[in-house]
Amino acid sequence: MGEQWAFYFDTDKCIGCHACSVSCSQRHGRDSDQDEWRTVKNVTTGTFPDVSSLPISMSCMHCADAPCEKVCPCNSIVKREEDGIVTVDRDSCIGCHYCGWACPYGAPTYDDGGIMSKCNMCLGEGPGGGHGMPPREEQEDGGSTPACVDNCVGDAIKAGPVSELKEQASDAAMQAFAQEPANIIVEADRDGDNAFPYEA
Amino acid sequence: MSSQSGDGLTRRSLLKAGGAAATMAALGGCVDDVARQVGFGTDRTATPIADANTAFGNCWMCCHNCAQEVKVTDDGQVIGITGVDGNPRGSAGPGTEGTLCPKGLAQLDKTHDPERIKQPYIRVDGELQEATWEEAFEYTAERLQEFDDEHGAETFLDAGSWAETPIFRTIWRDLYGTPERIGRGVHVCAGPTFVAGGMMGVGSNNRIPDYQNSEYLIMWGRNPLEAFAGQFEAKGLLKAIEENNATLVTIDPQYTETAEKSDEWLPIAPRTDGALALAMAHVIIEENLYDAEFVENHTYGFEAYREAVADKTPEWAAEITDIEADKIRQIARGFAEAAPQAGISIWTGTAQQANGWKASQNITALNGLVGNIDRPGGLRLWKDTPTADPFEVCEWTPDDKATSETIQGVDLPNNAAGKEKALHKYDEYNEYPFRHVEGIAHNLVPEMVENGHINGIYCHHDMPLKDGNADAWMEALDQMDLVIAVDAYWNGVTRNADVVFADATQLEKDTIGTGSWSAYSEHQWVIGGKAATEPQFNTKSDWDILIGIAEEMGWGEYFPWEDHEEFIDDQLLELDITLDELCSGEENFELVGEYGYEQWREEDGPAFSFDLDQVPPFVQAANEAGMSTVPDWQPPGTYGDELSEAYPLEFFDIRSVFFSHGSDQGIDRMLDQFAKKNELDDKDYRGNYLHINPVDADERGIETGDMVTIESETGSGELMAHVTELIRPGFVTSEYGFGAGSAQQDYEGMNTMKLHAKQMDPITGQPDRHIAVEVRGGV
Repeated sequence: MGEQWAFYFDTDKCIGCHACSVSCSQRHGRDSDQDEWRTVKNVTTGTFPDVSSLPISMSCMHCADAPCEKVCPCNSIVKREEDGIVTVDRDSCIGCHYCGWACPYGAPTYDDGGIMSKCNMCLGEGPGGGHGMPPREEQEDGGSTPACVDNCVGDAIKAGPVSELKEQASDAAMQAFAQEPANIIVEADRDGDNAFPYEA
Repeated sequence: MSSQSGDGLTRRSLLKAGGAAATMAALGGCVDDVARQVGFGTDRTATPIADANTAFGNCWMCCHNCAQEVKVTDDGQVIGITGVDGNPRGSAGPGTEGTLCPKGLAQLDKTHDPERIKQPYIRVDGELQEATWEEAFEYTAERLQEFDDEHGAETFLDAGSWAETPIFRTIWRDLYGTPERIGRGVHVCAGPTFVAGGMMGVGSNNRIPDYQNSEYLIMWGRNPLEAFAGQFEAKGLLKAIEENNATLVTIDPQYTETAEKSDEWLPIAPRTDGALALAMAHVIIEENLYDAEFVENHTYGFEAYREAVADKTPEWAAEITDIEADKIRQIARGFAEAAPQAGISIWTGTAQQANGWKASQNITALNGLVGNIDRPGGLRLWKDTPTADPFEVCEWTPDDKATSETIQGVDLPNNAAGKEKALHKYDEYNEYPFRHVEGIAHNLVPEMVENGHINGIYCHHDMPLKDGNADAWMEALDQMDLVIAVDAYWNGVTRNADVVFADATQLEKDTIGTGSWSAYSEHQWVIGGKAATEPQFNTKSDWDILIGIAEEMGWGEYFPWEDHEEFIDDQLLELDITLDELCSGEENFELVGEYGYEQWREEDGPAFSFDLDQVPPFVQAANEAGMSTVPDWQPPGTYGDELSEAYPLEFFDIRSVFFSHGSDQGIDRMLDQFAKKNELDDKDYRGNYLHINPVDADERGIETGDMVTIESETGSGELMAHVTELIRPGFVTSEYGFGAGSAQQDYEGMNTMKLHAKQMDPITGQPDRHIAVEVRGGV
């Protein structure tokens, strides 16, 4: 079994600009009005002037124990042994939406002809891209940089093998990571605010 | 120039309908067949971006030159776009990731956007008709000749802004011979910031502090994490926080992304920035926190400044600004103690108000007081990259001489010499103090058209209908005898033009970008871009458009270059590099010169002036406006609107990270993201939103998603309400560049400047965008 890949998100550095979701849609050839594989939302709380508006960028979390994989009646969804990326085989997917109901984060989308599509960590390009592909390689070994990582203006999003991400993460973020099913390491902001895990 | 408006179905709503139908079919029928028919099957081998060719560009969406790396297929389709690591405008400096912001990424969509203007048009019998390029050039030349005969070339207004080539200045001023010119910078963006800064000795560098070396940063009426002039601003700010543990203070009546990342957010009462700055100076002087050595040896007018702030206590300012006195003391001390590694950024927020001159002067004065002028982390005197004037350095061989002798330089005439600008020439404008300081004012153009002093316009990368007196400008465009427009999208100017030149967009042309401020505090720089693909549809680059006009006018001899690349190579002679060299290799930028801090030591005279009594044009303008020459307090309403019972809310228009200068409102992807940001993407509406506090909304029975009417004393419009706690009660805002005349096909939303009459800063003529309004629900 290869090393699991994960996303890393630094709340302090996300400026809510949506470059991640725009570049994701562009990389995967998705029209502007199609459902996004990566979304940005501002979690706004408080009453003027004591307010907060925390921008959060989210995609498929490539969960350690992926609930979408478990409910898929056609075994089209695979949590890959080699890199932990969750992919979908669109040739066998029947568009039943079970994965959509099981996913706590609203990651699966169905507007590619009714068949499920979602983030594949840019293992491939386009809907279904990534399924059956060789193990994820790092950029220095010829792998692509996920579009969201490559285009994050604030340098808030990273992706890579968990061991590498760990080196950059704080202890608090790693503790939370150990307790959450989502395969994402999240840093709280300077005020200690952290909107993850965040249900869509 | 007949008025035409945009209406009908948008491409977006058509796509939506199409998408819904496909989904229905998929759910009801054979899934595999549908998936195959619509081309959504799995192709595991397809990695089109990885296989495409690489080209470099120079982002022009907001004209601030973040470097681009693009992926292009063999048949010229741009299919991928991203930033260039370490580039001066789109990274945080050496060894850092280069990116593009969302509107920069949208250049990919813009390049192949079927909604672009695809070919030239000329007006025949009152209607715009498709024309060949030859017909358009001939028509233009004829009309320009007739215009000169009938009205005089000096009544033609050059409104070229941020063009990818500078030769529009040569054509309209030197060759056609008009002294009239308007740009977007001083005249509608931030006149007081630019001009006050210039007169005080720091140029317009009061906008961009030396972020990366700073320990204390005040974003005053600025939101550089969303509305940046190149991503290096946002990245530099984040870097200062991460690496220097810098304190970030945001002063803004609205809670922004920058406020979210700030240690302190001061939701100041609108238009009271000048009072806060005076009180900060009071604290800094009273507590001896200022840089006495710098003030004594390198500034002018300190005693007058000290006197002016003597009674401006924090308690006095607290009453005006709605910021507690202790908070004012805290910020003043924090700023002064961190100096010189402390910077302030101002731009449009404190300038687009009729009392913006004093706000800008008072705030800029704080820099001189703490001695941060051109010191690391303070107010940096950014240095431009020198380029050669191709008209002086070019070497060419005339066609019409039987010799192969090479000539250096082009002997350009100056056909505008001796011609006076209308603002200075005619008595009609004597009531405007800014005539002593400026050559034109945006809000006066309609009046000048009415008076017959301006009769035509060349409008290029310039969207006058989003600024100032929009309604009067629309009438003025109708009234002008000749409107020449160069643009990529249909909007209120192109629809009303006599000639429309279909402009290729930036990835379809050769460009260079230079400037001063960047992620490199001590280097000058240049970024290059060679056309990544051919001009799309039947468009041409602005260089080819202007050369086409010039040749038809008989001015071809003044342009001996084969193409724009040759012209750019002459510009680059100064830097001993060619465009080709710049764009070969792994990146497309060069650092070309190094310069140190404290450059004022090399100059004679004071580095900084608090009092402007030694600047004659300002003294004349200030006298007429009834304004002192030192920092001073001018309450809201001294020149602009006062709130009243009928118009109790204060309106101001704002920017969004998805749009720039009103030129990309036509791009669906940006409109959709903008709706998502406001969590209103489930509505069909894709216009701008009226941000209003629940206190004001409840009083008026308004809820998020309602269409509301906003009304000032002179105008009104409708737009969708966005009720939010992130804005100060009594203050309402909306994004500019939408509605009537915009680049959005259906003109959805509201042109915020329909609320504006002619309010201006008396010293620069800067349109005042703070307007007294009332908002009503139930449209």
